Amino acid sequence: MSIEQGNNLIKVSNVNKLFPSKQALKNVSFEINQGAPVALVGPNGAGKTTLFSILCGYIQQTSGEVSIMGHKPGSAATFGNLAALPQDAQLDPRFSIAHQLKFYGQLQGFNRKKSEYEAERTLDLVGLKEVLNEKPGALSHGMRKRVTIAQALIGEPKIVMLDEATAGLDPLHAREIRELVASLSGNTTFILSSHDLSELERLCQQVLYLENGVLKEHQTLANEVDLSYITLRMANVIPDFEQVLKSISQISDVKNTQDKEYLISVTPNENTLPIDIQILQLCHDKNWQYRQMINGKTLENQLFS
Amino acid sequence: MLSPHHFQLNIWRIWALIKFELIRLFFTKRGMLAVLAFATAWFIILYYPVNSAVSIVSSEGFKDMAKQMFGVLGLSELLNWPVSELALYWLIAIYSFPVFALIASSDQTCADRTRGTLRFISLRASRNEILFGRFLGQVLIISTLILLTLLATVVMATWRDTSLFIPALTKSLYLFKELLIAVLPFIALMAFFNSFLRSAKLTAVITLLFFGLGSIFISILEYQAPIAIHLNYLFPGMQLDAVVGQQGLDMSHYVIPLIQTVAYLTLASIFMKRSAL
Repeated sequence: MSIEQGNNLIKVSNVNKLFPSKQALKNVSFEINQGAPVALVGPNGAGKTTLFSILCGYIQQTSGEVSIMGHKPGSAATFGNLAALPQDAQLDPRFSIAHQLKFYGQLQGFNRKKSEYEAERTLDLVGLKEVLNEKPGALSHGMRKRVTIAQALIGEPKIVMLDEATAGLDPLHAREIRELVASLSGNTTFILSSHDLSELERLCQQVLYLENGVLKEHQTLANEVDLSYITLRMANVIPDFEQVLKSISQISDVKNTQDKEYLISVTPNENTLPIDIQILQLCHDKNWQYRQMINGKTLENQLFS
Repeated sequence: MLSPHHFQLNIWRIWALIKFELIRLFFTKRGMLAVLAFATAWFIILYYPVNSAVSIVSSEGFKDMAKQMFGVLGLSELLNWPVSELALYWLIAIYSFPVFALIASSDQTCADRTRGTLRFISLRASRNEILFGRFLGQVLIISTLILLTLLATVVMATWRDTSLFIPALTKSLYLFKELLIAVLPFIALMAFFNSFLRSAKLTAVITLLFFGLGSIFISILEYQAPIAIHLNYLFPGMQLDAVVGQQGLDMSHYVIPLIQTVAYLTLASIFMKRSAL
């Protein structure tokens, strides 16, 4: 099999993973093609990290097939093409960051000069060029995390898997990482696991939702505007909000999904003013402050309500 | 058919792994401290026992007694060596280097596995490359240290008598080969223990139990079933007592440690492949 398999990067079919105490993955199947980032979502213990570990070749599935660009995980053909930020993995505390990143570059087949360049380039991408000659122990938790993200970007791999990349980062740096992922997407296909659903919603086109080891949903976030739902976030709690909204004839249902957030179901009607305009008009008339209006359901609501 | 591709060994990647190990020893603070401690110990060995023993061994009065004593131990051959410094060096080195190799190579992959560093490396090198790269790195380190101590002994002998330079150098090369073959199975055993144990400390404890309780256990088994004596082939260094006298050596004295090395590395490779990172 060759690496040139069209744009199909990852193919997982009927994968099961049994641990002595539990079945971590049950008959999981999906495909990932080259392109926009893919989100891997699910509650704690759902099997996300197990799936990551299988894709990286850290552990082996009990049954089923996994193919990374036509090859088995962990095989030499994937070296340099698949990189990852594994959860809780630490660099060697005895060597400088630069030395270790250069070493990884050399393992990927780069000569000294190119691996030096890659170490600097990737650290620059995560905004940490100044720590090049520091040892990991001298860095804060968040900085160490960004360094390990830099590690995953060496040599512009085709697939980069980031397990909880922004967990533990301050909002500014979390945002920088999101921007980085967005800007590198295209050449590199990212697979992201995170508990921050709005983050994934912003970045990802495809969502894999795992629950108790079962892949519950495997969907593509709609590119086109879905006008049958509108999500509205208000600034304040408004008494009888749902009732008043329902007075608009096109609105069939209003659900208070969480504090000050409403999911509005809409029956399309071409003859009236567009529904979003009607809702905004109502807010304006009643002098209600709104924070955010979203076409369609949020990822969170798609998954949980 | 098993092809090179099957084993996934790439010389470039193995060399990168070896270089990293060399730098770990010779260019990190902790590594340099270890080298310094090693050098100090050997300085004391060379300066006191080796240096002074030469005059004792070569004094006529003592020679007969030494001959008798060494004869009992099967070591009389050593007294015939023209460079007596090397004879004493050999007696100390043949037992101390294997022990040193055990200690020095007790952390080949286990700390990296526990810390998760192997997860970064295994995305760029196969598990066999990691195993052999680390093993060869340790072999290269121990070889360098053996060479340095041999060189120091040659210098010392030449200092005493310049005509000894060539015989000392020739003998050193021979001793280097002997010592290298002797330490290989010890380093391979550590590679094997490292393939499933999670820390260097645990490896040290298991090694102690392996050599200590292991030999007791085999003696008991031997009492029940004499065939159990063959289990002694499990222990690296089982040929050392025969090798030390340098008399009546045959191929088996080289084949045993080499087979042990291959066997422990094969086991390590199997365990490495199955272990979760």
